[in-house]
Amino acid sequence: MSSQPKAIISESDTTSRGPLALLLVSAFGWLILSTVLSLIGTIQLHTPSFLASCAAFTHGRVEAMQESAFIYGWAGNAAFAVSLWLLSALGGSPLRGPGLLATATAFWNLGVTAGVVAIAAGEATSIPFLQMPGYIQPLLFVAAAAITTPGVLAWTGRSTDSTYASQWYAVAAIFLFPWLFSAAQVMLLADPVHGITQTIVAGWFSQNLIALWLLPVALASAYYLVPKLSGRPVAHYQFAKLGFWALVVFGAWTGGRHLIGGPAPVWVPTVAVVALYLLLFHYVIVAVNLPAGLFGWNSSTTLRFVAFGLTAYLLNGLGDVLASSHAINELLDFTYFSVAQGKLLLGGAFSFLIYAAVYEMGPRITGIPWPSAGLIRAHFGVAALGTVVTVLGLAFAGWSQGHALAVTANGFAAIAAAAKPGLLIATAGEFLLLGAAIIAFIHLVRLQVESCCSESVVSDSPAKSAT
Amino acid sequence: MKNGPIFFLCLLASLTFSWAGLALASHRQLSAVAPYYDVAEAKAFPEPMSGIAARGQLVYQDLGCASCHTQQVRRGDLGNDLDRKWGTRQSWARDYIYQGRPQLGLVRVGPDLANVGARLTSAADVYKLLHQGTATMPAYAFLFSESPAGAQTGAIAVGQVDGRQVVPTRRAMDLAAYVLSLNSPHVYGPEAAHNAVKPAAEEHKP
Repeated sequence: MSSQPKAIISESDTTSRGPLALLLVSAFGWLILSTVLSLIGTIQLHTPSFLASCAAFTHGRVEAMQESAFIYGWAGNAAFAVSLWLLSALGGSPLRGPGLLATATAFWNLGVTAGVVAIAAGEATSIPFLQMPGYIQPLLFVAAAAITTPGVLAWTGRSTDSTYASQWYAVAAIFLFPWLFSAAQVMLLADPVHGITQTIVAGWFSQNLIALWLLPVALASAYYLVPKLSGRPVAHYQFAKLGFWALVVFGAWTGGRHLIGGPAPVWVPTVAVVALYLLLFHYVIVAVNLPAGLFGWNSSTTLRFVAFGLTAYLLNGLGDVLASSHAINELLDFTYFSVAQGKLLLGGAFSFLIYAAVYEMGPRITGIPWPSAGLIRAHFGVAALGTVVTVLGLAFAGWSQGHALAVTANGFAAIAAAAKPGLLIATAGEFLLLGAAIIAFIHLVRLQVESCCSESVVSDSPAKSAT
Repeated sequence: MKNGPIFFLCLLASLTFSWAGLALASHRQLSAVAPYYDVAEAKAFPEPMSGIAARGQLVYQDLGCASCHTQQVRRGDLGNDLDRKWGTRQSWARDYIYQGRPQLGLVRVGPDLANVGARLTSAADVYKLLHQGTATMPAYAFLFSESPAGAQTGAIAVGQVDGRQVVPTRRAMDLAAYVLSLNSPHVYGPEAAHNAVKPAAEEHKP
């Protein structure tokens, strides 16, 4: 607590308050919806008849809706908010065009809403991470371009020449996303390539959406928060640049990791596996740079979010490499284990690092501290427990499923029975995650309401009694 | 990192390089894959998908069947796909050239469907699965409708409820046609030659 720096409410924080608050409230609203859908999807895995009589809730549609709500609703809105705030705060340059930003945010959320409804109505594309129908994608692209432009302008118009690791990651994320998104829209929806090439392009897109858009924002948050909250500088900072370029260069080639042994040319998964090994270099640098974050469990609650996120991030990197080995891939490919990996990366690493950034930025853009220290601690406790239980449950289910699949005599009823205990554990975890999302949403709304009711600007630390 | 334009250029170059390396290179390689004409059978393989099957693929797609079923048989040294009789050989890129949107899938909650057309012999088999469900798949009641017993619907009745016959909807018929079309047993010459195991004696020649 004593390490918490004093919050200084600058112009760059307050001018962007409205649009950033809109992005954050939207993000947490989507998080609740995606968690509800995820819970339904997990229940359907062990009880297939659950809501099955309704076409809108077939397992396939629920998965597609959940994925879209999570990626474009929760992660997208939150990534935009955190990256814009970091670029504005670190560049000392207020976000330009807050009106345009708010309008674009409204259109982005309108597009995601229309997309999720369209999936429920049976118009999913069946392309991973690009499930919303093609006629909605241009709206999302234009809205994303309008949202990210103030961030790029905040970078180019920064008050100092020197830059910091957080800025590299944040600007890379918002600069690369529109290119990546438009390339995928053209090659997969507008004028789709044929046959297996489509699967390879879809893999390139989905992997880069995570590696070059979402994870850089999460890392930008970590590089900003760790020295700020721990009071210790980034260790061996001279290596941070290498870590950044290792993620950008090698991360972009991991798209074929799920095509091992399949119909794609062998060089595609081979390149992906080599890139996964090279990415270890990036993980090592992150660990070397941010030990104060990795071992910040006994510090402030915000730093605990960072510690959980970074631990999940490094575990996932190691898990990716292990899962690409022949023996493990043979056993766990096409099982719930890959679902567990996704939960660890997006629900653990990405989400926790974003939660930490939100707890830091909330008071700065509203000018008042978080209403309740207890709610922040409750959010951490329930979310951490929920993530651990869900990931372990799914990993256990995947492990059991893989072993049962490996016995040729086993039918799918026996395989499902083997996976059921793990899926039941994961269901309990999903309930906890839903509770955590509701706590965070209520707390955020309370902050916004209280800031509207209060004209006083607090210059003390955010959640001074909490963090 | 101080030089903004070079920084942006390097970012864009990294993304473009991976796009060219994965998307363009695979497109260049795979766009050359055409149907294989088998002289012995005087026929080209794979065979084009029928119109009703293509419509059925859209149903498969919009219901999200790929979230539980894969459509790819892995090679012999990786898993027991061949032992499970999901195919007589591994899946090759040529198998998918007529598929508007290949549905490879990522998780096997149910069996692989790459060659399910070889295991299910008639539309009635598919209707039965869709109407009754299995231990791992629910019944899809919304793919069926009821009509008066004896009415000429042109569809195979899958059961009776209160004296009315239960018949598949148009979408169920399309889906069944698509499922039955999934079968690629033909061994293409180029792939067979490329994947052939060399005789041990030949490998050890000096």
